[in-house]
Amino acid sequence: MTWDFVLGQFAAQFGLWWVIVPGILIGIVVGALPGFSAQNTLIMLLPLTLAVPVPTALAFMISLYCATHLAGGIPAILVKIPGTGGAAATTIDGYPMTQKGQAQQALVLCFTASVFGGLISTVVTIGLLPWLSKVGLYLRSVEMVVVMLFGLTLIAVIAAKDLLKGLIAGFFGLLIGVIGTDHIYNTPRATFGFLELYDGVPLVPALIGLFAISEALVMIESKLIVRREGQERAAEAHWADTVDGLRLSVKHWWHIVWTSFVGLIIGIVPGAGASIAAFVAYQQSRMWSRHPELYGTGIPEGVIAPESANNGVTSGTLVPMMALGVPGGSTAAVMMVVLQYHGMVMGPRLFDTNPEIAYGVFISMAVAYIFMIFTILPLARYMSRIVLIETTYLVPIIVLMTIVAAFAGRQYQFDMALALLFGVIGYIAHKTDYHVTAILIGVILGPLFEEYLVRALRISEGDMSILFSSTTGNVLWALLVASLALPLVRTWLQRKSWVGNVKPDQ
Amino acid sequence: MSPNRTPGSKAPLGADLVIPALALAFAGYFFVSISDLAWEAKANGVLIGGVLAALVAVQFLRVGLQVWVGAANLGFERLLLPHHALAKRIGMVALTALFIFSMDWLGLTLALFLATAAALYLMGVRKRRHLFWIPFWVAVFAYVMFIAVLDAEFPRGPVELLLARFF
Repeated sequence: MTWDFVLGQFAAQFGLWWVIVPGILIGIVVGALPGFSAQNTLIMLLPLTLAVPVPTALAFMISLYCATHLAGGIPAILVKIPGTGGAAATTIDGYPMTQKGQAQQALVLCFTASVFGGLISTVVTIGLLPWLSKVGLYLRSVEMVVVMLFGLTLIAVIAAKDLLKGLIAGFFGLLIGVIGTDHIYNTPRATFGFLELYDGVPLVPALIGLFAISEALVMIESKLIVRREGQERAAEAHWADTVDGLRLSVKHWWHIVWTSFVGLIIGIVPGAGASIAAFVAYQQSRMWSRHPELYGTGIPEGVIAPESANNGVTSGTLVPMMALGVPGGSTAAVMMVVLQYHGMVMGPRLFDTNPEIAYGVFISMAVAYIFMIFTILPLARYMSRIVLIETTYLVPIIVLMTIVAAFAGRQYQFDMALALLFGVIGYIAHKTDYHVTAILIGVILGPLFEEYLVRALRISEGDMSILFSSTTGNVLWALLVASLALPLVRTWLQRKSWVGNVKPDQ
Repeated sequence: MSPNRTPGSKAPLGADLVIPALALAFAGYFFVSISDLAWEAKANGVLIGGVLAALVAVQFLRVGLQVWVGAANLGFERLLLPHHALAKRIGMVALTALFIFSMDWLGLTLALFLATAAALYLMGVRKRRHLFWIPFWVAVFAYVMFIAVLDAEFPRGPVELLLARFF
C-alpha cells in the first residue's frame, strides 16, 4: 500500500459525497430513534445497495453505520433515552449536563468524541490492519470472560454511594439477562411460559423501559427537564456554547484518543460490540481519573469515554470481516452479504486481489467521519432546544412513541408490554436509588458473560483453572485487579497525606 | 436524610424493599425453573441468583434493623410522592397498557391518535388545537415511518385498511 494509493482512494471517496451525506442523515435519524438499528435499515435498503457499484454501496452503508453510532448519544444526552445500547453509558454524565443547562456542550462533546474517536481508530486500522486482524485470534472465550468483568465492575463503580443497592440492581439485571434458552442444550430458563423470551430478554424493550419510560414517569413531577438553575442558560443557547464544547473536546483530546483504542480493540472481537466497549471505556475512564467522585454528576470525560469508544468500535467490527471473513457484528454481516453478492471473497486474499475494496472500506469510513462533523456540529445548538419543551407535551410523546418503537425490533406486540413492565421496574428503581444503569449493564452483559464463561468451561470440562491458563488472559486479569485496586490505593494515599498534613497542628 | 424530612422523623423505607422483593421472587422462580437442567445450563443462574439472594437478605436485615431501632418505618412515600403527579403517573401507565391492547382492534394509527390525545389531556393540556394536531402528527409520523416505509407488522385497523386502498 503506497501513499499514492491511499490519496487516490481518499479522492475517490470524497467524490462519493452524494451518497455519503444522505447515508449520514439517514443514520442520524435511525440512530437517534430507539428500536431502529443500522442493520435493519441496511436490510431494508438492500435492493438499493445491491443495484449500485460496490464502492458506492460501501460508502453509503458505512456512512449510515457510523452515523447511527454517533446519533445514539443525542437522545441519551437530551432526554436520557439512549438511541442504541452503545449510548446507554452516555446517559450517566450526558443527561446531568443537560439538567445543568449544558446540553449544547454535551452534544458537541458527543459529536467530536464520536467523530475523532472513529477517525483515529480508522486511521490506526488502515495503518495496522495486518496486525490488528490477529488481535481477534488472541482474544478467545477465556480472555473475553475478563473483558466482560471489566464492564461488570462498572456496576460497583455506579453503586459507589450505596454499594448494596447498586449490587442488588446489577445482580437483578444479570439474572434477568440469563432468561431464555441456555447456550449448550437450548433448554428454556425462567421464561414464564412465553415463547417470546426463548431468545432471552430483547435489549430494545429493556432499554426503552428502563431509560425512556421510567424517566418519563419521573419527568411528570417537573415542568421542564432542565433544573431551575440551568433554565436561563438552556434558553439562551448561544453559538458560544458550541465553541465551549469544542474547547472542552480539545482540552480532553488524550481522553478521546485512548478511549477510541478501547473501542477499536473490543470491536475486533466478533460479537462484542459497542455496548461493552462504551461501558468498559467509561469504567476505565473513571478508574484512572484524578476526580472519580465527579463521574455521574455531568462531566465532559463521562460523555467522551463512551462516545469515543462506541465509534472506535465501528472500524474494529470490520477488521475480522475483511481479514478473516468473519463478520464482527450484525451490520458487518449485512455488508458482507452485499460484498459477496458482487463476487468479493472475504479473507486475507482480499488485500491482494481487491486492495481498493479491502482498504477502501476503511478509507470510506474516515471520509464519512470527516463529512459527519461538518453535517452535525451546527445542529447542536438547535437540538439542545428540545429540553425547553414542557414535560406536559414531552411525556406523552416519549412514552407512546418509544412503546411503538419497542415493536420495531422483533415485531412482537409482547415487546411493547415488556417495555412497559421494564418502565415500571425502572421507575421504582429510580425513585429508590437502585440505579437503572446497573440493571441494564446486567441485562446487556449477563448473556454475553455466560456465553463466554460456559464456552470456556466446556472446553476445560468444568475446570475453572482454564480462566488463568493463557498469557493474554493473565495480563488482563492483572490489569483488572490493578484497576480495581487503584482507587483503594489512591484513597489510602490521600488519607495518609491528609493525616501527615494535619498532624503538626494537632 | 431526605430533604423533605424533618429532624427526628422516621425515614420511610418500605419502598426500598420493593426491588429486593421483586428480585428475590424472581430468583426463587428462576431456581425452580432450572432445577432439572444440566449444570452448564444452570451454573451461571445459580451463582448470580445465590449472590442476589444473599444481598437481598442483607438489605432486608439493614432496613429491619433501622425499623427496629425506630429510625425508619415501612412507608412507601418515596414511590407515591409528590401527590400531584401520582394520578398522572398511574394514568399514563394504564393508558399505555390500554393502547397496547386496543391496537388489535383499532390498528396502530387510530389507537396512537386516541392514546396521545388522552395522554395530553391527562397531563393537563386543554387547548383543543393542541389536543387534535399533536396526536394527528404523531399518528401520521408513526403511519409513514412504521407502516408505509418499514412495512412493520403492526395490527391493521380501519385507518390502515382505508389508506391501503389508495396507496
